[in-house]
Amino acid sequence: MRKYVAIIISALIFIVLAHFFITGNAPINYLTGGKYTNPITHEQANQSVPQQYLNDSRKDTGAPNVVTAIVVEYRGFDTLGEVTVLFTAATGLALLIEEYRRKMEEIVEPNFIVKIASIVVLPFIVIVGTYIFIHGHLTPGGGFPGGAVIASGFLLLLLVHTTKGLPEKKLSITESFAGMTYALIGLLGLVLANEFLQNYLPLGIFGTVFSAGIIPLIYIAIGFKVGSELGGILHNLKGVHEE
Amino acid sequence: MTYELLEPIFIISTALIAIGLYGVMSKKNILKIILSLGLLDTGVNILIVAMGYIPGGTAPIENGNYSLYMDPVPQALVLTAIVIGVSVTALALAVAMGYYKKTGTIELDKEGVMKW
Amino acid sequence: MVSIPPVLLIAFPLFFAFLAPLINMVSKKAVKPYTLFVLLLNTLFASIIFLNVSSGGVIYEQLSGFYPPIGILLSVGYLGAILALLINLLSPIVYISYFGDAKNSVKFSMLYMLVTASSTGIVITGDLFNMFVFFEITAVGSYGLVASMRTKKAFEGAFKYIVLGSVGSAFILLGIATIYGYLKTLNFYDIALRISSMPPTARLMAFIFLIIGIGVEAEIFPLNGWVPDAYEGSSHRVASFLSLGPSKAGIYAIARLLFTLIPIMGGFELALLLGLLTLIIGELAALKQKEIKRMLAYSSIGQMGLILVAFSMDSRMAFVAAIFLMISHAMAKSLLFLGTRNYTVGSLKNPFVSVPIFIGVLSIIGMPPFPGFWGKWYLMVDMASQGFWTIILLVILAAIVEAVYYARFLFKGTGTEKSEGISKSEMTAIVILALLLVLVGLFPQYIYAPAVNAASSFLGGGP
Repeated sequence: MRKYVAIIISALIFIVLAHFFITGNAPINYLTGGKYTNPITHEQANQSVPQQYLNDSRKDTGAPNVVTAIVVEYRGFDTLGEVTVLFTAATGLALLIEEYRRKMEEIVEPNFIVKIASIVVLPFIVIVGTYIFIHGHLTPGGGFPGGAVIASGFLLLLLVHTTKGLPEKKLSITESFAGMTYALIGLLGLVLANEFLQNYLPLGIFGTVFSAGIIPLIYIAIGFKVGSELGGILHNLKGVHEE
Repeated sequence: MTYELLEPIFIISTALIAIGLYGVMSKKNILKIILSLGLLDTGVNILIVAMGYIPGGTAPIENGNYSLYMDPVPQALVLTAIVIGVSVTALALAVAMGYYKKTGTIELDKEGVMKW
Repeated sequence: MVSIPPVLLIAFPLFFAFLAPLINMVSKKAVKPYTLFVLLLNTLFASIIFLNVSSGGVIYEQLSGFYPPIGILLSVGYLGAILALLINLLSPIVYISYFGDAKNSVKFSMLYMLVTASSTGIVITGDLFNMFVFFEITAVGSYGLVASMRTKKAFEGAFKYIVLGSVGSAFILLGIATIYGYLKTLNFYDIALRISSMPPTARLMAFIFLIIGIGVEAEIFPLNGWVPDAYEGSSHRVASFLSLGPSKAGIYAIARLLFTLIPIMGGFELALLLGLLTLIIGELAALKQKEIKRMLAYSSIGQMGLILVAFSMDSRMAFVAAIFLMISHAMAKSLLFLGTRNYTVGSLKNPFVSVPIFIGVLSIIGMPPFPGFWGKWYLMVDMASQGFWTIILLVILAAIVEAVYYARFLFKGTGTEKSEGISKSEMTAIVILALLLVLVGLFPQYIYAPAVNAASSFLGGGP
C-alpha cells in the first residue's frame, strides 16, 4: 500500500518537475539581462551578475579560474559557512560515536601487496592533494578536492594498519588552527581593508602561483582543514582496537 | 544553437529526484534511505549545473583562445551543495551506526520515516 | 553610541568554536565558562546592534569588498534585530542549565555555539544562497544535538530529522535554481526588484519549493513529521534550545519570503492554508499525547502554525501580533521544556519551579498580562477588523484545546518516571526566563515600537 502511494507521489513529482524545467526554460538572452540594483547606493548596472564576474574577475581578484574567484572572493562568506557545515558534521559525528570507539570485533589482515604498495603510493597522494589546493586559483580544483585527496591517503593508512587509528589529537589541532586561520584572514580584512574577507594583499602577476591576494592562503587553510576533518571522520567511523 | 541539449539532462535529473523521493518514502532500511538521499542530492546538483549552460561556452577559466564561457555561478553553488551533501551523509551514517548498536538492526519501525 | 559590524555576530562564535578543542586540551573545566562567555559576548553585540537599528534604521553591510548583487550583503532590519537579540539573549540562559550537569562534552558546547551563530546568520543575511548555507549549519548542528543522548529514541528522532531535513534542503536548492535560472541573481533586494519579470508559474513553483524546504526548520506542514520524535528523543535542554533558535529563524525566513521575496498572487492564501493546517493538526495531536515532551512538541507545531497565520494576514497589526507570539513561544517553550522534565504534582511545593511553569503555561495559552496574550489579542483585533470570522473561530477553538491539555497536565503531572528533582542551574534558568516573560508582558510598549517599525518595513517590501 505504502509502496503504491509512494510510486504515485514520486511519479507525479517527476512529471511536474520535468515539465516545469523543460518548458519553463531559462531565458537565453542572459548576457544583457535586466537592471541590477545596489541596495546601499541605488546604483544600477546593466550587465548581468555572471557576466560581471567573467569580465571583472581578472581585475578584482587576479585569479584566472572564475569559479574560484566566486567561491573564495566574491561569495567568500558562503565558503566560510560551507567549511563550518563540514566542521559541524565532523563534530556531531565525533559526539555520536565517542562511546563506541573501543569495540572492533573482526579484523582482517590486509594483503602483503597492499602494505607495500601503500608505502609507494602514499607520498604521491599527498603531493597531488597539496598541488590541487595550492593551484586552486589557476586550475580546476581547490581546497575541498585537495583536502579530499589527502583524506583518501588517510583512508589508505586506515585500511593498511587495521589495528591502529590516526593521530586524532594532531588532526584536531590542525583542524582548529586551519579554521582559526580562515576566520582570522577574514577578520584581518575588516581591520586592514574595510570589509570582512576583503583582499588586502597585492594581486601579483596574473597566472602565477604567488598571485591573487588572499585566495591561495584561504585555499591552503581550507585544504588543511578539509583533509584533517575528513581524516577525523574516517578515524571515528572506523573505530580503534586497543588492548 | 538552442537549449535542446538540456532536455535529456532535465529529464535525467528530475528522474533522479523522483527516484530519491520514492526511496525515502517507501524504504524502511536505513542504508537504503541514505542512498536515496544521495540520489536526490545528485539530481538537484545536476539540475543546478544545467542552469548555467550557455550554448557554445567553455569552462570558466580565463584563456585567450575562447571568448564565450559557461555561467560560473551555478558551479560555485554546486561546490557548496556537494560539500553539504557529504556532511549530511556522514552524520546520517553515524546515526545509523548508533541505531544499529542500540537495536541490532538497521530496519526502522513499521511506519518508516513518513509516520506523522 | 558605538556601532559594530553585524558580521561579528557570526564570525566571532565561529572563531571561538574552532578554538574550543584547544581550550578543552588545556583544561576540561574551562569549556563551560568559555562557552558561556562567547554566548554572552554575542548577546552584547546583538543588543548593541538592536539599539543601533532602532535608532538609525536598517544596517547594510557588504562583504568581501564588492557591491551587493556581486558580493554578499548582510542586512539587519528591524525584525532581524529583534530576533537576533531574542536568540542571543535566550541561548546563554538555556546554556546556564548545563552547569549542574556532570557530563562535560566540548563537542556539545561547540555545536551549541555553532547553531546559535547560524540561527543568527539566517535572520541577518540579505542573500538567498547565504541563507541556505546558514540553514544547513543550523540543521546539521541540530541533528548532532538531537542525537546526543545516544538512546534508541534519540537516534530514531535524529534520523527522521536528517531525512526530512535533507529533502527540505533539496527543495530549497530547487527553488534557488529556479530563481537563479530566471533572474541570474541571488540578492534579496535584486530579486524583489525584478521578480515581476518572472513568469507567474515559475514564481509559484519557486515559492512552493522554498516554503516546503524552509518549512522543515520552521515546523510547518507538510515536512514537520520529525518534530515530535526529535523532541521526544532529545534531552530536555536540547529541546528547549531548538524551540528558541532554529524554529524562530525558520519562521523569519518564511516571513521574508512572503513579504519581500515572492509577492505572488495567492502566496498569502497558500501560507494561510498551510498555517491553519499546521495549527489544527498540531493542537489536535497534542490533545491525544500522554508523554509530556511529545505534547509540548505538538503544541510547538500548533504555535508555529498560528504565527504563520498571523504573518499571512498581510497587515500591520497581525505582523506585530506575530512578533509577540514568537517572543512568547521562544521564552515560554524553552521554559516549559526545561522545567517539566519530571514534573509531578508533588514538585509544585517548590515555588521556584511551579511559579515559572504556571507563568509559561499562561503565556502559551494567552492569558493577560503575558506576551502570548498580547500576541493573540492583536491578532484577534486585526482579524475582526478584516472580517475573517471563521479564522477567528478556529483560533479560539485552538486556544481552548490548548487550555484543556495544559490544564490536564498541570493537575495530573506526568508522574510516570521517578522524580530526579531539578538542579540549581536549571532552576536559575527557568526563573530568569519567567522573569523575562513577566517583563515583556508588563511593558509591551518597548517591544511594540520596534515591532511596528518592523511591520512597516516588511509591508513596504524592505528587510
